[in-house]
Amino acid sequence: MRGKDVRLDQVSIRFGDSIAVQPLNLTIEAGEFFSILGPSGCGKTTILRTVSGFIEPTIGRVLIGGEDMAGKGPNERPTALIFQNLALFPLMSVAENVAFGLEARGVAKAERLKRAQELLELVALGGYGDKKPSDLSGGQRQRVAIARALAVEPSVLLLDEPLSALDLKLRQHMRAELRAIQKRVGITFIYITHDQGEALAMSDRVAVMSRGRLEQVAAPDTLYAEPATPFVATFVGEQNVIRGTLRRISNGAASVDTPLGPIEGREVGTPAIGAPVLVMVRPERMTLGATRDNSIPVTLKARHLEGPSVNLECVTGGQTLTVTLANGPAMRELPSDLVLGFGREDARVYAEGALAHG
Amino acid sequence: MASLFRAYGRGLGVLLLAIAALWILALIVVPLGAMIEQSLWWKDSKGDITLQIDRLYNDMATLQLDAAGETDAARKAGFEAQIAQKQALATELEAQETNPPKTYGLANFTRMSALHFYIFVRTIFYALMVTALALVVCYPMAYAVALASGPRKAIVLTVALIVPYAINELLRVYAWLMILDYRGVINGILAWLGMVDLDNRGWIPFLENPSAVFLAMIYTYVLFMVFPMVNTLETLDRNQIEAARDLGASSFRIHRRVIIPHAKPGIAVGCIMTFMLSAGSYSVPAIMTRGQGGDWFSQLVYRQFYESNNWNMGSAYAVSLLVVCTAFILIMMRLFGVGLRDIAK
Ligand SMILES: Nc1ncnc2c1ncn2[C@@H]1O[C@H](COP(=O)(O)OP(=O)(O)OP(=O)(O)O)[C@@H](O)[C@H]1O
Ligand SMILES: [Mg+2]
Repeated sequence: MRGKDVRLDQVSIRFGDSIAVQPLNLTIEAGEFFSILGPSGCGKTTILRTVSGFIEPTIGRVLIGGEDMAGKGPNERPTALIFQNLALFPLMSVAENVAFGLEARGVAKAERLKRAQELLELVALGGYGDKKPSDLSGGQRQRVAIARALAVEPSVLLLDEPLSALDLKLRQHMRAELRAIQKRVGITFIYITHDQGEALAMSDRVAVMSRGRLEQVAAPDTLYAEPATPFVATFVGEQNVIRGTLRRISNGAASVDTPLGPIEGREVGTPAIGAPVLVMVRPERMTLGATRDNSIPVTLKARHLEGPSVNLECVTGGQTLTVTLANGPAMRELPSDLVLGFGREDARVYAEGALAHG
Repeated sequence: MASLFRAYGRGLGVLLLAIAALWILALIVVPLGAMIEQSLWWKDSKGDITLQIDRLYNDMATLQLDAAGETDAARKAGFEAQIAQKQALATELEAQETNPPKTYGLANFTRMSALHFYIFVRTIFYALMVTALALVVCYPMAYAVALASGPRKAIVLTVALIVPYAINELLRVYAWLMILDYRGVINGILAWLGMVDLDNRGWIPFLENPSAVFLAMIYTYVLFMVFPMVNTLETLDRNQIEAARDLGASSFRIHRRVIIPHAKPGIAVGCIMTFMLSAGSYSVPAIMTRGQGGDWFSQLVYRQFYESNNWNMGSAYAVSLLVVCTAFILIMMRLFGVGLRDIAK
């Protein structure tokens, strides 16, 4: 099995009058584990169904392995889709489920059952071929769905929130499993999720979507450290958001007037001087005690013990700031008046824009 | 039963059981029992009994004449004794004639004439044909209705299916009669096109062909085939269809492997209903054939009851049909691997 690259070229999708996907360009490399991350209703499934051929783009082209997919149905594309609800065939045995794609290709029975057995072993379900899907646990059904999709030797595997039905523990286990399977078979995975932890943990690259628009496409580290928009910044990980007005920019360094006093940060994009801006600081980037760049006096309101770390909920000027610190003896007895400090590099200054949470 | 008492208490439990028993008794046991009982006996009227009585009266009249002309007292008494004896015999025979003794046995079943048996087999065959044709016609319809996207389309299709059923069954059959008659709509159109000549009776005799009955029956019973299928098809997760397509299956294979297996209970119920209705239908063949196209068995049953006035024979015929229908149900359930539980759903 060889992975193929997938390219969306100016693709836009409408349902009647509503635009589900705004025109976007996206290239997914061959053999990549690529995630599409976004809140419910942002158009993730729509994009996946467009790649698999259930939906024709209203405008634009879908290319797989350089080949234009226009006019090709789902059964003619080198893709296999794993549905949000798995859609296993309940009346067929597990082995028949896995062999179905081969049956459709006219592979002889003995041959396809042998192949199904191999695939079931690949997903560690060797002894379950004769069972019915309803006899399996959630995680096992999940793996049957993967084996069934892999049986047709797709170049691109499309997964629509396949873990959403599982409980947390199993989900974490299946993440690792999926990643391992992808490494083993080496094909392109396009993985849809609204769970940022999932996307960050598994992917080579992640695309963040909001309301039918691509916000950012980047490797997980980059996405976390250098979110490109206020939406990405607040959707991925936690943020302290401080509203202010941009006073001065020089060389990427931005000075912002805020109700909490002046803040020095890094500009992202190009906000205009005098325009309202958003300053974003991650809780774990703040420290106790004044620093050279930024110091904000606050009142400690609550302490939330997380185990290895502690979250301090502080207030100042009617705004709540959260600091995440490594747990230690010093964290047991804290005075109620604190000073929070953070570096210029840790404060990112965005032009006003939509946030992920309200 | 114990759980029933526990759930409802003794008094209410007994009441519920009594109601259920009454229900079963009134709807199943009594009518069926009466029919079966009726079919198992016959009146043992030796056909010549009336003749015998007539002969006895004739004899008596002659004897009376003889007695009247006889002067010898001894011989006269002899004649009168004979008359009295014959009178007694006649009275006995008359009693037998008005209220013949019942004889129990299977003769009503075994005495079916070869012709009637042929009609019986043919009716079963026709009913199977109607069922098969209805299945072929209705499956695509049911599929379209069940998977119609958008509520509007589904409503339109459902209404289109149900509206004809607001019209009385007889009217619908007569409508088909008018369409297929010698001077009916179709022949009219053909004549207008110059393809047949009505004036010289050159029409196409649709009604003399059993397929006219098939057509009217399918039309009459479509709903009973379509609705159970729609019901099961609606519960099919469409993602399964898409998954099958995504895995490269042709439409034919998707139907054969995914959709039809899912719809099996509905198909079984639809087939059972259509078969029973068509095998037992009286009005459709009676109206459509008008005696031109060969009887259906239901018409024979009717005649046994109301023309031959032989209720015992009629019951035996009806019971035979019932047995075949029951066998059909069992075979269908076996064939489709569905239990009563699936059908009840
Ligand atoms: N067949 C359709 N007809 C009309 N509108 C649709 C259709 N499919 C999706 N939409 C709309 O397109 C938008 C995107 O839907 P989509 O299913 O792609 O969201 P999603 O990101 O997968 O959400 P979720 O995480 O809840 O699955 C939604 O507003 C939805 O209402
Ligand atoms: Mg979705």
